[in-house]
Amino acid sequence: MSFVPGLGLVKGMALTLRRFFEPKVTVRYPEVRLDVPPKFRGRLQLLYDEYGTLKCETCFQCAQACPIECIDMGGLDTRGRYHVHWGAPETYGERREESALRRSGRTVPDPAYRPFVAVDLGEVDRILEEHDHDPAELLAILEETQSAYGYLPVAALKRISHTTGAWYAMIYGTASYYAHLRFEPASASEQAAAVAAHRPAEATYLAALGSALDGGGRPGAPARA
Amino acid sequence: MVTMLRTPAAWPSILLARADAKDPLDLDAAVAAGAFDGLKRAIRDLGATATVATVAASGLRGRGGAGFPTGDKWRTAAATDADRRYVVANGYGADPASHTDRTLMRRDPYSVVEGSAIAAYAIGASEAFIAVRSEDAAVIAALQTAIGSATDAGFLGPDVLGSGRDIVMSVRPVQGAYMLGEETVLLKALEGKRGQPEQRPPHPATVGLFDRPTVVNNVQTLAAVPWILREGADAFRATGSTHSPGTVLVQVRTPAKDGIAEVPLGTALRDVLKLGGKLPGERTLQAVLVGGPSGGLLPPDALDLPYDYADLREAGAHLGSGSIVAVDDRTDLVELVGVLTRFCSNEACGKSIPCRIGTRRLAEIVGRREGGLVRPVDAGLATDLAHDIVASALCDHERLATLPLTSGMRYFGSAFAPTDRPHPIATEAAR
Ligand SMILES: Cc1cc2nc3c(=O)[nH]c(=O)nc-3n(C[C@H](O)[C@H](O)[C@H](O)COP(=O)(O)O)c2cc1C
Ligand code: SF4
Ligand code: FES
Repeated sequence: MSFVPGLGLVKGMALTLRRFFEPKVTVRYPEVRLDVPPKFRGRLQLLYDEYGTLKCETCFQCAQACPIECIDMGGLDTRGRYHVHWGAPETYGERREESALRRSGRTVPDPAYRPFVAVDLGEVDRILEEHDHDPAELLAILEETQSAYGYLPVAALKRISHTTGAWYAMIYGTASYYAHLRFEPASASEQAAAVAAHRPAEATYLAALGSALDGGGRPGAPARA
Repeated sequence: MVTMLRTPAAWPSILLARADAKDPLDLDAAVAAGAFDGLKRAIRDLGATATVATVAASGLRGRGGAGFPTGDKWRTAAATDADRRYVVANGYGADPASHTDRTLMRRDPYSVVEGSAIAAYAIGASEAFIAVRSEDAAVIAALQTAIGSATDAGFLGPDVLGSGRDIVMSVRPVQGAYMLGEETVLLKALEGKRGQPEQRPPHPATVGLFDRPTVVNNVQTLAAVPWILREGADAFRATGSTHSPGTVLVQVRTPAKDGIAEVPLGTALRDVLKLGGKLPGERTLQAVLVGGPSGGLLPPDALDLPYDYADLREAGAHLGSGSIVAVDDRTDLVELVGVLTRFCSNEACGKSIPCRIGTRRLAEIVGRREGGLVRPVDAGLATDLAHDIVASALCDHERLATLPLTSGMRYFGSAFAPTDRPHPIATEAAR
């Protein structure tokens, strides 16, 4: 500690002066590249396409791969399922709007978002207890949770993540893949219909196949002589 | 209830030998008919290494569609160093229109249970899972009862037949995606993960369920194993074709019938199709769809083709789910290809680019043709795209998903070519 008044200021100015007379270096990136620390991965940034909309497909692959779970996203996934999770709540709405707008031009209401209003987690705790909090039994846990609540509330998924230790992105990834698992209560029929439109049930395929084999009824099909 | 089609008496019956039993769950009757003889022979006479060698010598190939030699798969799993190994019987039956695997498990659950037990013994696994569809309550019940009685009789459980080896078997119901039939996806589901395939190699035989060596076999493959051990590898080689011995279950669908039959591999497609009876009335055969949702469309003059892995692949189809559909002249082939391609695209898992985007673009190309909006470049685009998908796919699903369109264009080119039908928008404007 110095008691000479103004010494700190002089020291600061000395550094400035030294830097001022140092030779200036311009690295002609990308032809020349500076060394970066081995773990440097650049800054995470989402890119925009030529229409100015986000290119991210909300496929969750990056979130699943991220070893420290620092990546999070919200929006409509590739299956047309709409979901938001982790991250600051005040940004949910914004990200949701952006992603939904990009795909359909209109906002999508998100019933899965609302369960931040209280959900009784007693049931899911009981189920987790039965499965010994073992993430290898995740499918059974999710199926039982769905039959207990009628759907998979976000709060329950978070609880599963906390107590099994499985990353939320993994749990979301599993839950969003299987056609019989859903994030919306039965009352959200519009949402359910939107999801079903992206991945029709087997019965739809069988009916379409049968109809094609039977001469079909494709509207606009050329009439056969 | 599924129909069983009558086959010529000269055809061997390997998989469905006990299928007519009054009560398929009666263990004593099944044992009297030869069940668990194969397991006894494996444990008492052969030992693990010779069991694998016998299966390899029989030339048995996977009935799940790809036709990988089963003996090689088992040998790899047995040779890989690990603290634990697993056997997974793939009874998912992904193609919703084919009921072959389910029928086998319902009619003769002991053959699948015994085959899985032999596989577990041969590779040194102490746990075996039979993965089935959650929707098939009857199949689940049959397998559970069969496993229960086999365990009580000492064919499963601790110290199987005095071998000092434990084999615990259980039924694992899964549901919710077409892709669950694919082996790496099935393993993911059993681990409680998202059902997306893994890059191979490493194959599941070296790194499988919970990263342990795992033999994943179709239930028909496993059901043939007891027969091979009982009757010998040479007897098995005497059936089927030279490159692919043995039989396979097919689901033949014609306007007249829709049923299941056991056919020797290498049988002419014509004879397989004949099991489904004559086309009614004045309908004529337009095409044959071989292989299920990702199958290929073959023209009527390809009916001399042997029903075998390599021949079908060369012709642009594949064994797939064992489904063979007679397409008569009422069908609009473009519509049929559209239905198939859309299904494949909707069920693609989304993990890789050919899967997520490639299959979608394929479906769009077919869709344009269906809607009459075909672009002059579409034919070239479809060919290029199919080629790129096949070259860069992560799993077989994307590769196979190109088959309906490519085989359609190959054999029925005129149906897929641009038409001089007025463009719908032009018609609209003229009004
Ligand atoms: C899209 C897709 C679906 C499949 N569905 C099934 C199925 O339903 N049942 C089956 O046994 N194998 C299915 N397979 C093949 C499996 O991946 C795997 O090759 C097979 O279970 C291995 O057994 P095998 O060697 O006895 O054939 C499927 C493969 C793909 C790419
Ligand atoms: S979610 Fe998928 S598309 Fe979006 S940034 Fe991550 S990996 Fe890319
Ligand atoms: S279906 Fe997605 S990678 Fe094959």
